[in-house]
Amino acid sequence: MNYRHILMADDDADDRFLVKAAFEDNEIPNPIVFFEDGERLLDYVSGQTEDLHPVLIFLDLNMPKRDGREVLQTLRNNRIWNTVPIIIFSTSNAPEDICAAYELGANCYIVKPSSYEGLKEVILNVQNFWLHTAALPR
Amino acid sequence: MVAHNDAQLKRSVAMREHLSRFHEYTLQLDVPGNVPADSLAMHPAFTDRSARMEAIIKLIREMTGVEQKLLHSRAQSRDGYMQKTYKYKWIIMMVAVVFLSSAFILLDREIRRNKRYGIDLERTIDNLNRSNSELEQFVYVASHDLQEPLRKIRSFSDRTISKYRNALPEDVYHMLSKIDESSRRMQLLIQDLLSFSRIVNKGTHPEGLDLNTALLQAQSNLSEMITEHGAIIESENLPAIQGYPSQMEQLFQNLLSNSVKYHKHGGKPQIKITYELVQGEVIPKIKPSHTDLHFHLIKVSDNGIGFRKEFAEKIFVIFQRLHDRNEFAGTGIGLAICKRIVSNHNGYIFADSPDGGGANFCIYLPA
Repeated sequence: MNYRHILMADDDADDRFLVKAAFEDNEIPNPIVFFEDGERLLDYVSGQTEDLHPVLIFLDLNMPKRDGREVLQTLRNNRIWNTVPIIIFSTSNAPEDICAAYELGANCYIVKPSSYEGLKEVILNVQNFWLHTAALPR
Repeated sequence: MVAHNDAQLKRSVAMREHLSRFHEYTLQLDVPGNVPADSLAMHPAFTDRSARMEAIIKLIREMTGVEQKLLHSRAQSRDGYMQKTYKYKWIIMMVAVVFLSSAFILLDREIRRNKRYGIDLERTIDNLNRSNSELEQFVYVASHDLQEPLRKIRSFSDRTISKYRNALPEDVYHMLSKIDESSRRMQLLIQDLLSFSRIVNKGTHPEGLDLNTALLQAQSNLSEMITEHGAIIESENLPAIQGYPSQMEQLFQNLLSNSVKYHKHGGKPQIKITYELVQGEVIPKIKPSHTDLHFHLIKVSDNGIGFRKEFAEKIFVIFQRLHDRNEFAGTGIGLAICKRIVSNHNGYIFADSPDGGGANFCIYLPA
Protein backbone atom coordinates (compact mmCIF):
# COMPACT_ATOMS: atom_id res chain seq x y z
CA MET A 1 0.00 0.00 0.00
CA ASN A 2 1.26 3.38 -1.04
CA TYR A 3 0.39 6.42 1.06
CA ARG A 4 2.23 9.04 -0.93
CA HIS A 5 0.19 12.02 -2.06
CA ILE A 6 -1.69 12.53 -5.30
CA LEU A 7 -1.64 15.76 -7.35
CA MET A 8 -4.52 17.06 -9.40
CA ALA A 9 -4.72 20.10 -11.67
CA ASP A 10 -8.22 21.16 -12.71
CA ASP A 11 -9.53 24.67 -13.24
CA ASP A 12 -13.08 23.65 -12.38
CA ALA A 13 -13.83 24.13 -8.66
CA ASP A 14 -16.86 21.85 -8.84
CA ASP A 15 -14.83 19.05 -10.30
CA ARG A 16 -12.19 19.46 -7.62
CA PHE A 17 -14.95 19.31 -5.02
CA LEU A 18 -16.51 16.22 -6.57
CA VAL A 19 -13.19 14.38 -6.89
CA LYS A 20 -12.38 15.23 -3.27
CA ALA A 21 -15.82 13.94 -2.24
CA ALA A 22 -15.30 10.78 -4.27
CA PHE A 23 -11.94 10.19 -2.56
CA GLU A 24 -13.58 10.66 0.84
CA ASP A 25 -16.57 8.49 0.01
CA ASN A 26 -14.24 5.73 -1.20
CA GLU A 27 -12.13 6.22 1.95
CA ILE A 28 -8.87 6.51 0.06
CA PRO A 29 -6.17 7.38 2.58
CA ASN A 30 -3.72 9.11 0.19
CA PRO A 31 -3.70 12.90 0.61
CA ILE A 32 -4.68 14.76 -2.55
CA VAL A 33 -3.32 18.21 -3.46
CA PHE A 34 -5.33 20.36 -5.86
CA PHE A 35 -4.13 23.07 -8.30
CA GLU A 36 -6.28 25.55 -10.19
CA ASP A 37 -4.16 25.43 -13.33
CA GLY A 38 -1.16 23.77 -14.89
CA GLU A 39 1.23 26.58 -14.03
CA ARG A 40 0.59 26.21 -10.30
CA LEU A 41 1.21 22.50 -10.50
CA LEU A 42 4.49 23.07 -12.34
CA ASP A 43 5.52 25.72 -9.77
CA TYR A 44 4.82 23.24 -7.01
CA VAL A 45 6.71 20.48 -8.77
CA SER A 46 9.82 22.60 -9.40
CA GLY A 47 9.99 23.46 -5.68
CA GLN A 48 9.91 19.80 -4.63
CA THR A 49 12.74 17.42 -3.97
CA GLU A 50 12.92 13.85 -5.10
CA ASP A 51 11.84 12.43 -1.74
CA LEU A 52 8.39 13.93 -2.09
CA HIS A 53 7.43 12.20 -5.31
CA PRO A 54 3.68 12.03 -5.76
CA VAL A 55 2.29 8.60 -6.47
CA LEU A 56 -0.06 9.83 -9.24
CA ILE A 57 -0.88 13.01 -11.12
CA PHE A 58 -4.35 13.84 -12.46
CA LEU A 59 -4.36 16.42 -15.26
CA ASP A 60 -7.27 18.18 -16.86
CA LEU A 61 -6.65 18.95 -20.54
CA ASN A 62 -8.24 22.36 -20.98
CA MET A 63 -7.00 24.80 -18.39
CA PRO A 64 -6.05 28.49 -18.45
CA LYS A 65 -2.38 29.60 -18.59
CA ARG A 66 -0.78 26.20 -19.17
CA ASP A 67 -3.04 23.43 -20.29
CA GLY A 68 -2.74 19.74 -19.61
CA ARG A 69 -0.78 19.03 -22.77
CA GLU A 70 1.94 21.54 -21.89
CA VAL A 71 2.20 20.27 -18.33
CA LEU A 72 2.36 16.71 -19.61
CA GLN A 73 5.14 17.61 -22.01
CA THR A 74 7.11 19.52 -19.36
CA LEU A 75 6.84 16.68 -16.85
CA ARG A 76 7.83 14.06 -19.39
CA ASN A 77 10.96 16.07 -20.26
CA ASN A 78 11.91 16.42 -16.61
CA ARG A 79 14.62 14.00 -15.45
CA ILE A 80 13.11 13.52 -11.99
CA TRP A 81 9.42 13.58 -12.85
CA ASN A 82 9.33 11.63 -16.07
CA THR A 83 8.43 8.38 -14.32
CA VAL A 84 5.40 9.56 -12.33
CA PRO A 85 2.21 8.02 -13.71
CA ILE A 86 0.00 10.70 -15.22
CA ILE A 87 -3.72 10.25 -15.70
CA ILE A 88 -5.49 12.63 -18.07
CA PHE A 89 -8.90 13.42 -16.66
CA SER A 90 -10.93 15.38 -19.19
CA THR A 91 -14.49 15.92 -20.40
CA SER A 92 -13.37 15.48 -23.99
CA ASN A 93 -13.89 12.12 -25.62
CA ALA A 94 -12.63 13.36 -28.98
CA PRO A 95 -10.39 10.71 -30.59
CA GLU A 96 -7.72 13.30 -31.45
CA ASP A 97 -7.46 14.48 -27.82
CA ILE A 98 -7.11 10.92 -26.57
CA CYS A 99 -4.51 10.07 -29.19
CA ALA A 100 -2.49 13.25 -28.53
CA ALA A 101 -2.44 12.59 -24.78
CA TYR A 102 -0.95 9.12 -25.18
CA GLU A 103 1.54 10.41 -27.74
CA LEU A 104 2.73 13.00 -25.23
CA GLY A 105 3.33 10.25 -22.68
CA ALA A 106 0.17 10.01 -20.61
CA ASN A 107 -0.22 6.67 -18.83
CA CYS A 108 -3.99 6.67 -18.86
CA TYR A 109 -6.87 8.71 -20.28
CA ILE A 110 -10.15 8.90 -18.42
CA VAL A 111 -13.22 10.75 -19.69
CA LYS A 112 -14.87 12.48 -16.75
CA PRO A 113 -17.94 10.44 -15.86
CA SER A 114 -21.28 12.17 -16.27
CA SER A 115 -22.64 11.33 -12.85
CA TYR A 116 -21.37 11.26 -9.31
CA GLU A 117 -21.95 7.52 -9.01
CA GLY A 118 -19.86 7.08 -12.13
CA LEU A 119 -17.13 9.28 -10.71
CA LYS A 120 -17.05 7.35 -7.46
CA GLU A 121 -16.63 4.12 -9.38
CA VAL A 122 -13.87 5.55 -11.57
CA ILE A 123 -11.93 6.80 -8.55
CA LEU A 124 -12.31 3.40 -6.90
CA ASN A 125 -11.01 1.73 -10.05
CA VAL A 126 -8.07 4.11 -10.16
CA GLN A 127 -7.25 3.25 -6.60
CA ASN A 128 -7.55 -0.47 -7.26
CA PHE A 129 -5.31 -0.37 -10.29
CA TRP A 130 -2.78 2.39 -9.74
CA LEU A 131 -2.45 2.19 -5.96
CA HIS A 132 -3.09 -1.50 -5.31
CA THR A 133 -2.28 -3.41 -8.48
CA ALA A 134 0.37 -1.58 -10.46
CA ALA A 135 4.03 -1.64 -9.42
CA LEU A 136 5.24 1.96 -9.42
CA PRO A 137 8.70 3.53 -9.50
CA ARG A 138 9.96 4.74 -6.19
CA MET B 1 -18.45 31.29 -132.68
CA VAL B 2 -21.69 31.31 -134.64
CA ALA B 3 -23.08 27.98 -133.58
CA HIS B 4 -25.60 29.59 -131.32
CA ASN B 5 -27.01 32.00 -133.88
CA ASP B 6 -29.07 30.62 -136.79
CA ALA B 7 -28.84 33.77 -138.94
CA GLN B 8 -25.09 33.92 -138.56
CA LEU B 9 -24.88 30.21 -139.24
CA LYS B 10 -26.73 30.69 -142.52
CA ARG B 11 -24.46 33.56 -143.41
CA SER B 12 -21.39 31.53 -142.65
CA VAL B 13 -22.70 28.63 -144.77
CA ALA B 14 -23.31 31.12 -147.60
CA MET B 15 -19.87 32.56 -147.08
CA ARG B 16 -18.27 29.13 -147.21
CA GLU B 17 -20.13 28.56 -150.48
CA HIS B 18 -18.90 31.91 -151.86
CA LEU B 19 -15.39 31.17 -150.68
CA SER B 20 -15.22 27.77 -152.31
CA ARG B 21 -16.53 29.20 -155.58
CA PHE B 22 -14.05 32.04 -155.27
CA HIS B 23 -11.30 29.53 -154.72
CA GLU B 24 -12.41 27.50 -157.72
CA TYR B 25 -12.43 30.57 -159.94
CA THR B 26 -9.07 31.61 -158.71
CA LEU B 27 -7.66 28.18 -159.53
CA GLN B 28 -9.20 28.35 -163.04
CA LEU B 29 -7.85 31.81 -163.66
CA ASP B 30 -4.45 31.01 -162.22
CA VAL B 31 -3.70 28.25 -164.69
CA PRO B 32 -1.44 29.97 -167.24
CA GLY B 33 -2.93 30.08 -170.72
CA ASN B 34 -6.32 29.04 -169.54
CA VAL B 35 -7.60 32.53 -169.81
CA PRO B 36 -6.09 34.98 -172.27
CA ALA B 37 -4.82 38.10 -170.55
CA ASP B 38 -6.75 40.49 -172.73
CA SER B 39 -10.09 38.88 -172.23
CA LEU B 40 -9.60 38.44 -168.53
CA ALA B 41 -11.98 41.16 -167.55
CA MET B 42 -14.71 39.67 -169.75
CA HIS B 43 -14.27 36.11 -168.58
CA PRO B 44 -17.36 34.88 -166.68
CA ALA B 45 -15.18 33.38 -163.99
CA PHE B 46 -13.53 36.66 -163.39
CA THR B 47 -16.74 38.67 -163.17
CA ASP B 48 -18.41 36.08 -161.07
CA ARG B 49 -15.41 35.98 -158.82
CA SER B 50 -15.63 39.71 -158.34
CA ALA B 51 -19.32 39.40 -157.55
CA ARG B 52 -18.51 36.67 -155.06
CA MET B 53 -15.85 38.82 -153.59
CA GLU B 54 -18.31 41.63 -153.05
CA ALA B 55 -20.83 39.22 -151.60
CA ILE B 56 -18.16 37.95 -149.20
CA ILE B 57 -17.25 41.46 -148.18
CA LYS B 58 -20.91 42.25 -147.63
CA LEU B 59 -21.39 39.09 -145.66
CA ILE B 60 -18.36 39.82 -143.53
CA ARG B 61 -19.63 43.31 -142.90
CA GLU B 62 -23.02 41.97 -141.93
CA MET B 63 -21.55 39.32 -139.73
CA THR B 64 -19.16 41.79 -138.10
CA GLY B 65 -22.07 44.13 -137.56
CA VAL B 66 -24.15 41.40 -135.96
CA GLU B 67 -21.23 40.18 -133.86
CA GLN B 68 -20.41 43.69 -132.76
CA LYS B 69 -24.03 44.24 -131.82
CA LEU B 70 -23.93 40.96 -129.93
CA LEU B 71 -20.67 41.90 -128.29
CA HIS B 72 -22.10 45.21 -127.33
CA SER B 73 -25.24 43.73 -125.86
CA ARG B 74 -23.16 41.14 -124.07
CA ALA B 75 -20.86 43.78 -122.69
CA GLN B 76 -23.92 45.66 -121.53
CA SER B 77 -25.44 42.68 -119.86
CA ARG B 78 -22.06 41.92 -118.35
CA ASP B 79 -21.86 45.43 -116.98
CA GLY B 80 -25.35 45.14 -115.63
CA TYR B 81 -24.53 41.80 -114.13
CA MET B 82 -21.37 43.14 -112.58
CA GLN B 83 -23.29 46.01 -111.14
CA LYS B 84 -25.81 43.63 -109.74
CA THR B 85 -23.08 41.39 -108.37
CA TYR B 86 -21.55 44.39 -106.78
CA LYS B 87 -24.85 45.21 -105.14
CA TYR B 88 -25.33 41.63 -104.00
CA LYS B 89 -21.79 41.56 -102.69
CA TRP B 90 -22.57 44.54 -100.57
CA ILE B 91 -25.80 43.07 -99.34
CA ILE B 92 -24.15 39.78 -98.50
CA MET B 93 -21.35 41.61 -96.77
CA MET B 94 -23.79 43.70 -94.76
CA VAL B 95 -25.75 40.62 -93.81
CA ALA B 96 -22.54 38.88 -92.82
CA VAL B 97 -21.46 41.86 -90.76
CA VAL B 98 -24.82 42.05 -89.03
CA PHE B 99 -24.81 38.32 -88.45
CA LEU B 100 -21.27 38.26 -87.13
CA SER B 101 -21.74 41.25 -84.89
CA SER B 102 -24.96 39.90 -83.45
CA ALA B 103 -23.24 36.55 -82.91
CA PHE B 104 -20.41 38.40 -81.23
CA ILE B 105 -22.80 40.33 -79.01
CA LEU B 106 -24.66 37.17 -78.09
CA LEU B 107 -21.46 35.34 -77.39
CA ASP B 108 -20.13 38.20 -75.36
CA ARG B 109 -23.35 38.33 -73.36
CA GLU B 110 -23.20 34.59 -72.83
CA ILE B 111 -19.59 34.76 -71.67
CA ARG B 112 -20.42 37.61 -69.34
CA ARG B 113 -23.37 35.71 -67.95
CA ASN B 114 -21.21 32.66 -67.56
CA LYS B 115 -18.60 34.64 -65.72
CA ARG B 116 -21.23 36.20 -63.47
CA TYR B 117 -22.68 32.75 -62.89
CA GLY B 118 -19.23 31.44 -62.04
CA ILE B 119 -18.68 34.23 -59.55
CA ASP B 120 -22.10 33.62 -58.03
CA LEU B 121 -21.36 29.93 -57.79
CA GLU B 122 -18.01 30.58 -56.16
CA ARG B 123 -19.67 32.90 -53.68
CA THR B 124 -22.37 30.36 -52.93
CA ILE B 125 -19.79 27.64 -52.42
CA ASP B 126 -17.82 29.95 -50.15
CA ASN B 127 -20.93 30.75 -48.15
CA LEU B 128 -21.86 27.12 -48.00
CA ASN B 129 -18.40 26.08 -46.84
CA ARG B 130 -18.36 28.82 -44.27
CA SER B 131 -21.78 28.04 -42.92
CA ASN B 132 -20.88 24.37 -42.95
CA SER B 133 -17.71 24.80 -40.95
CA GLU B 134 -19.47 27.27 -38.66
CA LEU B 135 -22.20 24.74 -38.11
CA GLU B 136 -19.68 22.03 -37.38
CA GLN B 137 -17.87 24.29 -34.96
CA PHE B 138 -21.15 25.31 -33.43
CA VAL B 139 -22.30 21.76 -32.93
CA TYR B 140 -18.93 20.69 -31.57
CA VAL B 141 -18.47 23.61 -29.20
CA ALA B 142 -22.11 23.61 -28.18
CA SER B 143 -22.13 19.95 -27.41
CA HIS B 144 -18.87 20.20 -25.49
CA ASP B 145 -19.75 23.27 -23.51
CA LEU B 146 -23.34 22.19 -23.00
CA GLN B 147 -22.14 18.94 -21.50
CA GLU B 148 -20.20 20.69 -18.73
CA PRO B 149 -23.08 22.26 -16.74
CA LEU B 150 -25.18 19.19 -17.39
CA ARG B 151 -22.54 16.95 -15.89
CA LYS B 152 -22.55 19.20 -12.82
CA ILE B 153 -26.33 19.08 -12.51
CA ARG B 154 -26.25 15.31 -12.65
CA SER B 155 -23.25 14.95 -10.39
CA PHE B 156 -24.63 17.18 -7.66
CA SER B 157 -28.17 15.84 -7.74
CA ASP B 158 -26.68 12.37 -7.81
CA ARG B 159 -24.44 13.09 -4.84
CA THR B 160 -27.29 14.71 -2.92
CA ILE B 161 -29.37 11.59 -3.43
CA SER B 162 -26.62 9.17 -2.49
CA LYS B 163 -25.46 11.14 0.53
CA TYR B 164 -28.82 12.18 2.00
CA ARG B 165 -31.00 9.33 0.74
CA ASN B 166 -32.30 8.47 4.19
CA ALA B 167 -32.77 12.05 5.35
CA LEU B 168 -34.73 13.13 2.21
CA PRO B 169 -38.54 13.34 2.26
CA GLU B 170 -40.03 11.04 -0.35
CA ASP B 171 -41.25 13.85 -2.69
CA VAL B 172 -37.85 15.62 -2.63
CA TYR B 173 -36.20 12.34 -3.51
CA HIS B 174 -38.72 11.89 -6.32
CA MET B 175 -38.07 15.38 -7.72
CA LEU B 176 -34.30 14.95 -7.51
CA SER B 177 -34.64 11.69 -9.42
CA LYS B 178 -36.59 13.54 -12.11
CA ILE B 179 -33.78 16.13 -12.38
CA ASP B 180 -31.29 13.31 -12.72
CA GLU B 181 -33.39 11.49 -15.31
CA SER B 182 -33.95 14.58 -17.45
CA SER B 183 -30.34 15.64 -17.37
CA ARG B 184 -29.26 12.13 -18.28
CA ARG B 185 -31.59 12.25 -21.26
CA MET B 186 -30.20 15.61 -22.30
CA GLN B 187 -26.70 14.19 -22.01
CA LEU B 188 -27.66 11.40 -24.37
CA LEU B 189 -29.06 13.89 -26.85
CA ILE B 190 -25.92 16.00 -26.76
CA GLN B 191 -23.67 12.98 -27.12
CA ASP B 192 -25.70 11.81 -30.09
CA LEU B 193 -25.53 15.27 -31.62
CA LEU B 194 -21.77 15.17 -31.15
CA SER B 195 -21.43 11.77 -32.78
CA PHE B 196 -23.66 12.95 -35.62
CA SER B 197 -21.48 16.03 -36.14
CA ARG B 198 -18.34 13.87 -36.15
CA ILE B 199 -19.45 12.02 -39.28
CA VAL B 200 -17.64 14.22 -41.73
CA ASN B 201 -15.15 13.42 -44.44
CA LYS B 202 -12.83 16.26 -43.57
CA GLY B 203 -9.16 15.56 -44.12
CA THR B 204 -9.58 11.93 -45.16
CA HIS B 205 -9.80 10.34 -48.58
CA PRO B 206 -12.09 7.50 -49.54
CA GLU B 207 -10.35 4.16 -49.88
CA GLY B 208 -11.24 0.84 -51.43
CA LEU B 209 -13.30 -1.21 -49.00
CA ASP B 210 -15.17 -4.47 -49.04
CA LEU B 211 -18.76 -4.09 -47.87
CA ASN B 212 -18.80 -7.74 -46.75
CA THR B 213 -16.05 -6.92 -44.27
CA ALA B 214 -17.92 -3.85 -43.03
CA LEU B 215 -21.07 -5.95 -42.56
CA LEU B 216 -19.18 -8.69 -40.70
CA GLN B 217 -17.57 -6.11 -38.44
CA ALA B 218 -20.96 -4.54 -37.72
CA GLN B 219 -22.39 -7.96 -36.91
CA SER B 220 -19.56 -8.72 -34.54
CA ASN B 221 -20.05 -5.34 -32.81
CA LEU B 222 -23.69 -6.28 -32.31
CA SER B 223 -23.08 -9.93 -31.49
CA GLU B 224 -24.50 -9.60 -27.98
CA MET B 225 -27.74 -8.02 -29.20
CA ILE B 226 -28.03 -10.50 -32.07
CA THR B 227 -27.60 -13.51 -29.79
CA GLU B 228 -29.97 -12.10 -27.19
CA HIS B 229 -32.81 -11.75 -29.68
CA GLY B 230 -31.91 -14.82 -31.72
CA ALA B 231 -31.69 -12.67 -34.86
CA ILE B 232 -31.00 -14.39 -38.18
CA ILE B 233 -29.00 -12.37 -40.67
CA GLU B 234 -28.51 -13.53 -44.25
CA SER B 235 -26.51 -11.62 -46.80
CA GLU B 236 -25.73 -11.98 -50.47
CA ASN B 237 -22.20 -11.28 -51.61
CA LEU B 238 -21.70 -7.51 -51.46
CA PRO B 239 -19.46 -5.44 -53.74
CA ALA B 240 -16.35 -3.47 -52.94
CA ILE B 241 -16.67 0.32 -53.09
CA GLN B 242 -14.64 3.48 -52.61
CA GLY B 243 -15.56 4.91 -49.24
CA TYR B 244 -14.88 5.36 -45.56
CA PRO B 245 -14.66 1.96 -43.83
CA SER B 246 -15.63 3.12 -40.33
CA GLN B 247 -18.67 4.94 -41.70
CA MET B 248 -19.83 1.92 -43.69
CA GLU B 249 -19.42 -0.25 -40.64
CA GLN B 250 -21.52 2.20 -38.66
CA LEU B 251 -24.14 2.28 -41.41
CA PHE B 252 -24.62 -1.49 -41.25
CA GLN B 253 -24.45 -1.46 -37.49
CA ASN B 254 -27.21 1.15 -37.20
CA LEU B 255 -29.44 -0.57 -39.76
CA LEU B 256 -29.00 -4.01 -38.19
CA SER B 257 -29.55 -2.79 -34.65
CA ASN B 258 -32.57 -0.85 -35.88
CA SER B 259 -34.04 -4.00 -37.41
CA VAL B 260 -33.33 -6.08 -34.32
CA LYS B 261 -34.68 -3.41 -32.00
CA TYR B 262 -38.00 -2.99 -33.81
CA HIS B 263 -38.75 -6.71 -34.18
CA LYS B 264 -42.29 -8.02 -33.85
CA HIS B 265 -43.26 -8.93 -30.33
CA GLY B 266 -42.78 -12.64 -29.78
CA GLY B 267 -41.06 -13.19 -33.13
CA LYS B 268 -37.40 -13.61 -34.01
CA PRO B 269 -35.85 -10.86 -36.09
CA GLN B 270 -34.93 -11.99 -39.61
CA ILE B 271 -32.81 -9.70 -41.71
CA LYS B 272 -32.02 -10.22 -45.40
CA ILE B 273 -29.40 -8.23 -47.23
CA THR B 274 -29.55 -8.40 -51.02
CA TYR B 275 -27.44 -6.80 -53.68
CA GLU B 276 -27.86 -5.83 -57.31
CA LEU B 277 -26.30 -3.37 -59.73
CA VAL B 278 -28.80 -0.83 -61.10
CA GLN B 279 -28.91 2.11 -63.51
CA GLY B 280 -29.22 5.53 -61.85
CA GLU B 281 -32.53 6.35 -63.52
CA VAL B 282 -34.45 3.84 -61.37
CA ILE B 283 -33.65 5.83 -58.22
CA PRO B 284 -36.50 8.11 -57.16
CA LYS B 285 -35.65 11.82 -56.82
CA ILE B 286 -32.16 11.26 -58.23
CA LYS B 287 -30.07 14.28 -59.19
CA PRO B 288 -30.27 14.73 -62.98
CA SER B 289 -26.49 14.44 -63.30
CA HIS B 290 -26.57 10.99 -61.69
CA THR B 291 -29.06 9.30 -64.01
CA ASP B 292 -26.39 7.87 -66.32
CA LEU B 293 -24.31 6.36 -63.53
CA HIS B 294 -24.50 2.82 -62.19
CA PHE B 295 -25.37 2.26 -58.56
CA HIS B 296 -24.92 -0.61 -56.12
CA LEU B 297 -28.32 -1.28 -54.60
CA ILE B 298 -28.01 -2.82 -51.16
CA LYS B 299 -31.35 -3.72 -49.67
CA VAL B 300 -31.75 -4.48 -45.99
CA SER B 301 -35.14 -6.06 -45.29
CA ASP B 302 -36.51 -7.21 -41.97
CA ASN B 303 -39.65 -8.81 -40.62
CA GLY B 304 -40.11 -6.25 -37.84
CA ILE B 305 -42.98 -3.97 -36.95
CA GLY B 306 -42.36 -1.65 -39.92
CA PHE B 307 -43.82 1.84 -39.99
CA ARG B 308 -46.65 3.79 -41.56
CA LYS B 309 -45.99 5.00 -45.10
CA GLU B 310 -46.21 8.67 -44.25
CA PHE B 311 -43.16 8.34 -42.00
CA ALA B 312 -40.88 6.99 -44.74
CA GLU B 313 -38.93 10.25 -44.90
CA LYS B 314 -39.41 11.42 -41.35
CA ILE B 315 -37.53 8.49 -39.87
CA PHE B 316 -34.27 9.84 -41.30
CA VAL B 317 -34.61 13.21 -39.56
CA ILE B 318 -32.41 13.72 -36.51
CA PHE B 319 -34.16 13.08 -33.17
CA GLN B 320 -37.39 12.08 -34.89
CA ARG B 321 -39.02 9.16 -33.17
CA LEU B 322 -42.11 7.22 -34.12
CA HIS B 323 -42.63 5.51 -30.78
CA ASP B 324 -43.05 6.40 -27.19
CA ARG B 325 -39.84 6.47 -25.18
CA ASN B 326 -41.25 3.88 -22.77
CA GLU B 327 -41.92 1.53 -25.68
CA PHE B 328 -38.54 1.81 -27.39
CA ALA B 329 -35.52 3.57 -25.88
CA GLY B 330 -33.23 5.83 -27.85
CA THR B 331 -32.96 9.40 -29.05
CA GLY B 332 -33.72 8.91 -32.73
CA ILE B 333 -30.23 9.45 -34.10
CA GLY B 334 -29.49 6.06 -35.69
CA LEU B 335 -31.16 6.47 -39.06
CA ALA B 336 -30.16 10.16 -39.27
CA ILE B 337 -26.57 8.98 -39.03
CA CYS B 338 -27.26 6.38 -41.75
CA LYS B 339 -28.60 9.07 -44.03
CA ARG B 340 -25.59 11.26 -43.38
CA ILE B 341 -23.17 8.44 -44.08
CA VAL B 342 -24.90 7.57 -47.34
CA SER B 343 -24.94 11.26 -48.37
CA ASN B 344 -21.22 11.43 -47.55
CA HIS B 345 -20.75 8.67 -50.13
CA ASN B 346 -22.89 10.51 -52.72
CA GLY B 347 -25.56 7.87 -52.42
CA TYR B 348 -29.24 7.65 -51.61
CA ILE B 349 -31.17 5.87 -48.90
CA PHE B 350 -34.90 5.17 -48.83
CA ALA B 351 -37.15 3.30 -46.49
CA ASP B 352 -40.42 1.61 -47.17
CA SER B 353 -42.67 -0.69 -45.27
CA PRO B 354 -44.88 -3.16 -47.12
CA ASP B 355 -48.42 -3.67 -45.83
CA GLY B 356 -47.61 -7.06 -44.38
CA GLY B 357 -45.13 -5.50 -41.95
CA GLY B 358 -41.38 -5.37 -41.95
CA ALA B 359 -39.19 -2.59 -43.24
CA ASN B 360 -36.94 -2.31 -46.30
CA PHE B 361 -34.00 0.03 -46.46
CA CYS B 362 -32.64 0.63 -49.94
CA ILE B 363 -29.15 2.04 -50.12
CA TYR B 364 -27.82 3.22 -53.47
CA LEU B 365 -24.06 3.77 -53.63
CA PRO B 366 -22.29 4.95 -56.79
CA ALA B 367 -20.54 2.06 -58.53
